[in-house]
Amino acid sequence: MNQVVSSLSPALAEYANDASRVLDAPPRFLELLPIAIYACDADGRIRWFNRRAVTLWGRTPRVGDDEERFCGSYKLYHLSGHPMPHAETPMAHVLKTGTSVDGKEVTIERPDGSRATAMVHIDPIHDADGHLLGAVNCFHDITEVKRAEEKLRESERRFRGLLEALPAAIYTTDAAGRITFYNEAAAELWGHRPELGESEWCGSWRLYSPDGRPMPHDECPMAVALKENRSVRGEEAIAERPDGARVPFIPYPTPLRDATGMLVGAVNMLVDITDRKRAEERQKALLDELNHRVKNTLATVQSLASQTIRGADVPKGVREAFERRLLALSRTHDHLTRARWESADLEAILHDIFAPYQGDAGRNETEGRIRLEGEPVKLKPKPALTLAMVLHELATNAAKYGSLSASGGVLTVSWVVIDGEAGCGLRIEWQESGGPAVKQPQRRGFGSRLLERGITKELKGSAQISFDPAGVRCCMEMPV
Amino acid sequence: MSEPLSADGLKILVVEDETIISFLIEDMLQELGCAVVWHAGDVREALALLRDRRPDVAVLDVNLGRELAYPIAAQLDAARIPFIFATGYGRDGIPDEWASRPVIQKPFAIETLAAALDSVLRT
Repeated sequence: MNQVVSSLSPALAEYANDASRVLDAPPRFLELLPIAIYACDADGRIRWFNRRAVTLWGRTPRVGDDEERFCGSYKLYHLSGHPMPHAETPMAHVLKTGTSVDGKEVTIERPDGSRATAMVHIDPIHDADGHLLGAVNCFHDITEVKRAEEKLRESERRFRGLLEALPAAIYTTDAAGRITFYNEAAAELWGHRPELGESEWCGSWRLYSPDGRPMPHDECPMAVALKENRSVRGEEAIAERPDGARVPFIPYPTPLRDATGMLVGAVNMLVDITDRKRAEERQKALLDELNHRVKNTLATVQSLASQTIRGADVPKGVREAFERRLLALSRTHDHLTRARWESADLEAILHDIFAPYQGDAGRNETEGRIRLEGEPVKLKPKPALTLAMVLHELATNAAKYGSLSASGGVLTVSWVVIDGEAGCGLRIEWQESGGPAVKQPQRRGFGSRLLERGITKELKGSAQISFDPAGVRCCMEMPV
Repeated sequence: MSEPLSADGLKILVVEDETIISFLIEDMLQELGCAVVWHAGDVREALALLRDRRPDVAVLDVNLGRELAYPIAAQLDAARIPFIFATGYGRDGIPDEWASRPVIQKPFAIETLAAALDSVLRT
């Protein structure tokens, strides 16, 4: 529409070979065009106008009247709202300077008080000698367009106001990663204000990975989201402010696509996790302190036993047996501590128990004699501690009398998690072979009692041990 | 099942704030054949001791009540005296600067202490 209009008035001016003809008699087809049009003589007196001009003005001006020159409207205003005297209209300007005005916007007020916004295109008309004869103004109603633009701006303002009001740090970029918007919370988190349209990927001063290594801006999660056109979740980063303060945060970068699915930018929300990190550190410090005390208490017990046994008439192996039990308990604590006292891995526990029998450099023949077979299983603290002690007793027994006491003996520990009706159950099989012929023990020792009460009563499981002459067999089941 | 140990005739500094535990470590070291065991219960005492005497190796408890043993570690490092950490925290509790040093976790068996001493004395 704009193009039609702006190309129309020069055409009309050209049409004026006999220029005075244009001013005197307008082409009849102007009534058919979807635009308003009028002409003034060199003094600004209106010579003619079409029906659409009358509609836009809301009145019919008097042709050739000295009293209403330059424009047929009742009142005119700049878009800013300031009044525009008729003598300062674009038409007056064209007649004064002899140059065209193309695409100027003005507000027309009609006698009934209603207003319309118009875009005007004015071209001067000259005679063959170059004398200014007048000008033609093509103008059209852009009120609806302006209203839609204003509505869009309003919606944008509301949208931004909404984002500004959120306590979460939010920013957007275009498809190339240039920052197009950020809210107050983002500026606060970053500790500075990035340059809109200039800063790229992230508005932070400097970025680091959670492990403290510098993270280039073009490798940050937002850059990944834009470059790979996908949402990035589960990442963490640290923003450094210009003052050196560091803020750990979780980003939620999400690509933005237009109606056709084309990537047009991305939005990112940054969640400050300083408080959470602090709480985690406090919890770790507490757990460290607790662990330190527990370990020192165990070491104190170890020392007390050692001081008690020294000098007393006690067989040599007693202290060693006691220490091994104490250390087995302590090492299971270590596994649980590493997982914040939530769980311990069964295979890791077994590796610790067999470490004295596998790691001994002088005993190469034991390699491959201990076989551990099973999927990774996480044990809760209570089953982990009880089971570790039971397995420790079985291992000690195997090293003293069983398959680990003679070359050629083999020990296999296999386990499987069974999905039953009453929940998950762990089944562990302990199988020795190739050792000296097994004899039924004379009395029930600590190991047997622990197996019986610890597994069946404490862990609500079941345990059978058989002293088969070919090798000890033990089968345990317990809920996990 | 213990290997032949290389602690024979060594002078050792033990820094441990808990008396009963220090007995255990001293007894173990004597059992391993160490000639002299010097004991310090805190950082000040350990640094004072290091001004007059030069041990062959040191065993440092990391958490000495209200203070940590790292100033002693720095002093030993400057004097090129090897040392091991003995701690309830395990390796996770050691800051990066010292993380490459041998750590034994309390409570420990005599074999573990011997192996750790062996590893620092050999390098």
